[in-house]
Amino acid sequence: MKSNFPIFQHHPNLVYLDTAATALKPQSVILAQTDYDTKFSANIHRGLYQISQTASQLYDQSRQNIADFIGADFSEIIFTPGTTSSINLLAKSWGEPNIRSGDEIIVSLMEHHSNFIPWQQLAAKKNAVLKLIPLTADFTLDLNSITQLVTPKTKLVALTHISNVLGTINPIKDITRLIKKINPKTLVLVDAAQSVAHLPLDVTNFNIDFLAFSGHKMYGPTGVGVLWVKQNHYPSMSPSSFGGGAVSQVFTDRTIFQPPPYCYEPGTPPISQVIALSQAVDFIKFVGWSKIIAHESKLTDYALKKLSSIKNLKIIGPQSHHSGVISFVFNRPGLPAPHDLGDILSRQFNLAIRTGFHCAMPLHTQLGLDTGTNRLSFGIYNTLADIDTLIKGINYSLKIFS
Amino acid sequence: MDDLYRQIILDRYKNPVNLGQINDGLKVEDINPLCGDHIKIWLKIKDQTIVDAKFQGSGCAISIAATDILMDLIKGKKLKQILSLSGSEIEDELDIKLTSVRKRCAYIGLEAIKKIKNSFSGL
Repeated sequence: MKSNFPIFQHHPNLVYLDTAATALKPQSVILAQTDYDTKFSANIHRGLYQISQTASQLYDQSRQNIADFIGADFSEIIFTPGTTSSINLLAKSWGEPNIRSGDEIIVSLMEHHSNFIPWQQLAAKKNAVLKLIPLTADFTLDLNSITQLVTPKTKLVALTHISNVLGTINPIKDITRLIKKINPKTLVLVDAAQSVAHLPLDVTNFNIDFLAFSGHKMYGPTGVGVLWVKQNHYPSMSPSSFGGGAVSQVFTDRTIFQPPPYCYEPGTPPISQVIALSQAVDFIKFVGWSKIIAHESKLTDYALKKLSSIKNLKIIGPQSHHSGVISFVFNRPGLPAPHDLGDILSRQFNLAIRTGFHCAMPLHTQLGLDTGTNRLSFGIYNTLADIDTLIKGINYSLKIFS
Repeated sequence: MDDLYRQIILDRYKNPVNLGQINDGLKVEDINPLCGDHIKIWLKIKDQTIVDAKFQGSGCAISIAATDILMDLIKGKKLKQILSLSGSEIEDELDIKLTSVRKRCAYIGLEAIKKIKNSFSGL
């Protein structure tokens, strides 16, 4: 599998365990991007000339391909620069017109800052209430508390599908059923940044209302992401950023916007990135979900077993429903802090893990992890040998500090 | 065994000699949002001179060791001298060369100390 990823030709010994931060790019995705720049680098939906038509056609086909990938309709896919922008767009275009004083927004304690701060800020601005779903001792969402938190005033529950720190896979379908049973009008947003390349997503099956993800975490390029909006919510939303391409008529005193998704995509879109993202979807389909899930479960089980056998190492994550994101700390003073371990692994083993708070400070604060955590995360290119190198590196680091 | 994690750093990380608080001391602190290092320093100052310095905090080995050594460096020094202290002096003291990411770890105590500017006019 590594042969599909040109970065390994440049760094043959790289052990890359940071896919949760960004996935490496396969050759087909890289080619799709450069193909646009070299063969039909034209703006879309504007030019009557051939290369513009080629670009437009590929751009539209890409939207359809990405929509199909998550069980959505063409018009429900809004392209954004990434998950963060998707959620901010939703907070502005749906949140601003719909959240009023006294309304409630629920998020969980395990959210990434990008699915936390937009709602915290919106709640503060609107004098709404931000409620938090706590965690169980096993680092899963406390599902019992959800039934108590949701009330007739709850407008939105914003939840991650997979925690980017704990690796916990949240049972979205069950949670949505719980929420909508109490208040059918409560809408559900799912942050799928950490799941889109690792588990099949079906927005209809989930029975959710909004979904956000990034291209670069699913073997696609940086600079592109998706906000999926269930069609029947479009009438309650309005554009929050403005410019060319998103309008049908502009008068000196008013503007008539294009229908969605176009009214939410002003300006020249990330054309080559969208086309390359569609290639990333094809890459995932080419590998196949059964192979992806089997391979990543094998890696996860192996890593959890190996890590558990290291003395003074504590895994910060659940016993089961564990995705290929694994965080750990050393729980005795005087052992390497996350920054120390990351540094030694990089210099001595050419190994990339992520250390720190992983943009989830409320979670780390709650768990008392004041120097952060060490996090490894898998992609389709990882091997059992990568984990062996990690374990070797951890033991080496512990020896330095012994 | 490792160029960076020399014995002096490991010793100072595991057993810092300047750990503690000074009850009536001037408190300064700094946080590195990248990794979460958080260092609090207490300074006892007489006649524009540091007569005692202690610290507490959480962080990586580099930030704890460098701050511990910094406490030694500043004791007996005039406030003005301290403001001209540079990061490279800390690296020299630790006898290490740091990458730009790790410089931030080693300099966290220094960044905190420089905040005494806010408490003393004319420095």
